This record gives sequence, structure tokens and C-alpha cells, in this order.
Amino acid sequence: MADLEIRDLYVRTEDREILRGVNLEINRGEIHALMGPNGSGKSTLANTLLGHPSYEITSGSISFKGEDITEAEPHDRAKAGLFLAFQYPVSIPGVSVANFLRMAINAKREEPIQVKEFRTQLQHAIELLDVDRAFTSRHLNDGFSGGEKKRAEILQMAMLTPDIAILDETDSGLDIDALRTVAEGVQKLHDEQGLGALIITHYQRILHYVKPEFVHILMDGRIVLEGGVELVERLEREGYDQIRQEVGAAAGAVDDGV
Amino acid sequence: MSENGDAPNGSAPADGTTAKVKAGRHREATLYHALHGAGAGDGRTLEQLRAAAREAYDSLELPVWRRSGFWTTSLADLDIDALSTEGGDGIPEIVTRTLPDAPFAGRIVQSAGAVVHVELDPSLAERGVVLTSLRDAFRDHPELVAEWYSKRLTLDRNKLEAANAAFWEGGAFLHVPQDVVVEAPFQIVYAIDRPGVAQYGRTLVVGGRSSDFRVHEYDLGEDFEGQALHAGAFELYLQDGARCRLAQVQDWGSGEVFDVSTRVVSIGRDAYCHWLPALVGGHLVRQHLELAVTEPGGDMAFRGVFFAEEREHLDLFAVDLHETGPSGGDVHWRGAATGESRASFEGLIQIDPGSQQTHTYLQIHSMMLSPKARIDAIPSVLVSADDVSASHGGTVGELDETAIFYMQSRGLDRAAAVRVIVEGFFEPLVAELDDEALEEIVREKVAAKLAAAREDIETYATSR
Repeated sequence: MADLEIRDLYVRTEDREILRGVNLEINRGEIHALMGPNGSGKSTLANTLLGHPSYEITSGSISFKGEDITEAEPHDRAKAGLFLAFQYPVSIPGVSVANFLRMAINAKREEPIQVKEFRTQLQHAIELLDVDRAFTSRHLNDGFSGGEKKRAEILQMAMLTPDIAILDETDSGLDIDALRTVAEGVQKLHDEQGLGALIITHYQRILHYVKPEFVHILMDGRIVLEGGVELVERLEREGYDQIRQEVGAAAGAVDDGV
Repeated sequence: MSENGDAPNGSAPADGTTAKVKAGRHREATLYHALHGAGAGDGRTLEQLRAAAREAYDSLELPVWRRSGFWTTSLADLDIDALSTEGGDGIPEIVTRTLPDAPFAGRIVQSAGAVVHVELDPSLAERGVVLTSLRDAFRDHPELVAEWYSKRLTLDRNKLEAANAAFWEGGAFLHVPQDVVVEAPFQIVYAIDRPGVAQYGRTLVVGGRSSDFRVHEYDLGEDFEGQALHAGAFELYLQDGARCRLAQVQDWGSGEVFDVSTRVVSIGRDAYCHWLPALVGGHLVRQHLELAVTEPGGDMAFRGVFFAEEREHLDLFAVDLHETGPSGGDVHWRGAATGESRASFEGLIQIDPGSQQTHTYLQIHSMMLSPKARIDAIPSVLVSADDVSASHGGTVGELDETAIFYMQSRGLDRAAAVRVIVEGFFEPLVAELDDEALEEIVREKVAAKLAAAREDIETYATSR
């Protein structure tokens, strides 16, 4: 059984159905890419995996490390080892990055983390993400540039050592240097800590720096195509439209056959 | 402009009948007149002032403050005749429990109607600093006190103001002479540790030229059953070039404590005051807060934090007053409410005629944490000079569910996430206290209020 198993997941918001039968399996140590055009349901899947209250699961299930977490509270999913790097990180005025990290780490532990141990971990993460030390005393995401916010997400990921991280369009809005730093950070956490990742992206750019073993293409709320890294190259050549035509035709054929 | 009164003051109906005057039907901001002229400078002695106040007290009813029909602060429930001004003895436990274990320059404690403790760093006494009960100050420093006492305070606007002026006992007097700079805070404490107390607290602080000091006032109540009253009058005068950081922590506990107080800070030439009341507990609180630049070059930062819970009622009128220019002002308040509490913050910027080159800004941010809690923030600006800038802004917020989800996705449970948001909301101002021990006290009080309201906040969120 895979560490994270998504079975036939149907999800809707107040006004419409967005996911229509998603199946996906992710293990620790695996890097997956989930690609798809705008509006295909990528962010919905990311938020649903962490239990965002605005998304209603109408059928299907999510299990993590053997436990059914379909109905679990977001913070319990986080404690179990899931992480979501937000597409639009929220600013939390009045709380420094360091203090927030300490709270988040302590939320997962019985005993509060020792000051020295925390400092060591923070220093390591700071170097990994190539951020300034002063960065951690700023209020979380408050007045951060787009690039700083994304770095702060990966910094949190590095500190919280999840088993599986979902990166929701972490690459969007990043310049090439920030993109490289963030991507290399993910790769290193994968190599060093055995992080499993689901990298959600609209573009191929980030996948030049993090090499996914598995690539899934989401369209209209379903995964329509799966493969290895060669899918990324194909997408780069052909674009979503062509793929849509093919799978659309195939899906149509199947539908006709029923 | 001001938004007060359901009818213009003083206008008679067209048919010639006399308009009926309701008690308390006007609010100050209609055209604010600074409080002054009742005391120092008009030649009256303390005894004469007290007699005048006594007369006013006898002729006045308990006050009601109304604003446009939907907001009323009434003292009708206060049984003032059942209260006693008798003094306490010894430092109440609530004081020893609350005051920080940190260095201080001086400390004066009043329990109920009596000053029970006065302590001043001897090296400061040698340099001329005076910290004593106001009663003793009238005896030992009559000329100094007479120059300032009640200089900007009135004594007959309402029954409780009159009561204070007529009946105050004990009280606090602090004088920091010219050029004296003191880093550690002077602590002025008013405590009520039992029901049945009427405490008429009276504080006079004078900062001499180029003095620099801190004042921390603590208003503390024990948790008890029954009524008590604190009717306070506070005045601080900063002379040329003086600087003061004035902070106040008010927590009257869970008793039925009424607090009706007037506080005035007057800023002289090139003087500066940073004033931050933290009002975190009181059954019914009505405060009139005035920070006035009275001479050119005066500058101020007027901050404030409030947090009402359960059925508490908080009614604040704060004035950022510029009687002359050039002057600077910066008003920034933050408030939260849980339970069925109600809070009203009326903030007025007033720039008097001739106060050119005055620049000031008022912002009020509020956060409602339960469906039955209510905060009204009413900023107004009255400007009578043309070379000035004055504006106001503010936000009314509820809990941001996106922020809560964000934190939950990091492992914090909902209650912890709410706490982070609310503490973060207050933090910019709390940090401005610039005194770790005091900051910690305010943070703890905020945290305790959130913990107490946890269920309420939870229900609110899930109901939406």
C-alpha cells in the first residue's frame, strides 16, 4: 500500500464539481509531478489533501500511511507528515518566521524542542534555502516578495520534515534564481531526508531542476495521462491542446463504448 | 466629520416649543472643548474646589452617555450609595501577584481609598524626584501641586467626575524635575480587592523640562462577586522638551467593577509622549482620554489596546488634540471582543485654529471574535487650520479562515491558530510598550481571554 493513496476522489465547492475521480499513489522518496492547464483542478487537489474546509469530498477516499484521513482535521494531517506549500502563502502579521516554526515543530512533539537543537536545524535550513538570517525574525510572509514567500514555504518544509509534501505551483512567479534555489532545496530534502513530493505546476520550468520519476496530467478533474519524465518533454513539444485532443478522443471513444 | 447626536444640539423645533433635553444626549465630538480651567490658575484652593465639586455631585444624577440611539452607556445599575470610600490596609494580593519582578524607579500603591505603599529609589529622591500620595503632596509641596492640580480637568461634567474631585483620598503625585532621566518605570497602582468599594483615584504627574521617564499605571481588581467603582482622574503635564512613555494596564477582574475615568496628557514645547493604555477587563468602562499638544513642537504617539469579553461594556472617547502647531500626532488603537461584549471607540482628531503644520493620523483596527460581540469604531476629524494633514483609517475584521487553514496545515490546531492571529493582531502595539515585563503581562492577559472564550470562538467559526 502506498504512503499516500487517493482513491476515486470526487470533490466539489459550493458552485461546482471540480475533481471527478482522481486516483494517485505517492510514496516517501518519490518525486511526482502533477501538470495540467489552468482550471483543471490542481489546486483543488492540493487543498483537499490537507483538508481545506471549502472543498467537499463527495466520494472517494484519501489514506495516509495506512490511515483513512478523508475526514481528518488539517492539523492532524500535518502532524501525520503531510505538508502543503501554498500557491499563495498567507501573511501572519505579528509572528516571526522563527517563532512560527518553533510553534509548528512543537505542535508535533510531546516535549518542546530545545533551543540549541532548534537553532541548529534553523541554521541548516537557512543555508539550504540561501536566505538571510534576518529573514527568520521578520513577520511570516508579511510584506514578503513573491520569491521570499516561496522560500519561506520551503524553509518551513525543511524544518517540519514531512514524509510527503505537496507543492502547489511553488514555481509560479519566481525568477530563475529563486526557482533554482527552491527546486534544489526540494531535491536535497528528497536526497537527504527521503522526502516524497507532489510538485504541482502549470509549466515545465521547475522540472529542469527537480527530476520527477512520475508525471501525471490532470484535465477537467481527472488524471488523463501518466508516465515518466518523457511526458514533460512531450508536453513541452506538443502543448496541452494536442494532448487534450488525443485523450479527449480516447475518452470519447470509451464513453461511446459504454 | 463628527457623527454624533440624533438632533443638532441647541436647536429648537420650528413650532416654538422647547426641545426636550435628554440626559447625556450629546457626545463630545460634536464640537470638542478641551478640558481645562477648573483647577490650577483660577486661584481656588483645594478646599474650595472640593466644595464646588461636592455641590455638583449632590445636584447631578448618575450619567448616561448616548450616541445616535444605538449606543448607550448607562450607570443606572450602579448602586453608588451602597459603596464606601473606606481605605484598605496592606498591599493586596492581586498587586503582588501581578506586578513584574523587574527593576522600578518608584512604586505607589493605593488599595480602595488609601495609599498603602510608597517607595522611591533614594538616589532619585536626592535628585529631587517626588513620589508621594497626592494628599501628602498638598501638605509637603503645596506650591508645586497648586500650579498643576486639575489644570486641565473639569469637576462637574458628570456626577462621577464631581465625586472624584470632591472625595478623592490618597492619590498619587509624581514630579520628575528638570533634566532628570530615569530608565526604570515609576509604578502607580490602584487596586480593588473586594466588593463595595468606591475608589476615587487621583493622579498628578509633572515632567520638568527635558526630563525623560516612564510611568506604568496598573488598575487591578480581584475576582469577586458584587459591585465596586473606580472613578479616576489622571493628569500628566510635560514641560518643554520632556519625554514620557506612559503605559496603563487595566484589568478589574471578573467583579462588577465600573470604571469611569478621565485621563489627560498635556504636551509642552518640543515635548513627546508615547501613551499606551491596555484595557483588558472591566464590567463597565467609560474613559475619556485626551492627549493634547499645547505648545509648538509637541509630538505624540497615542496607542491603545482593548479586549472585551463576556458581557463587558467598554466605551472609549479618545482625543488627539492639537492646540497649536507645528505638532505631530499618531493615533493607533486595536481592539478585540468576544462573548456578548460591546466596545465603542470614538476617536477624534481635533486641530484648533492656528495650529498650522500639524500632521496627524488616526487608525483603529478591531476584531470581532464571536457573533454577539460588537465593536463600533467611530473616527472623526475636526480641522480648523489649512496647512495641516489629518486623516484616519481602520479595519474591522473577523478571523481569517485562510490564515487558520494555513497554520493548521503546519500542525497547529484551530485554537492555537486563532491565538496566533489575535496575538499577532495586538503584537505591533504590545511590542511598543518597550518593556519586556509589561509586554508579557499584556500578552498573558490576551491569551487568558482567548482561552476563556475558546468555545465561543469555535462555535462562531463552525456556524459560518
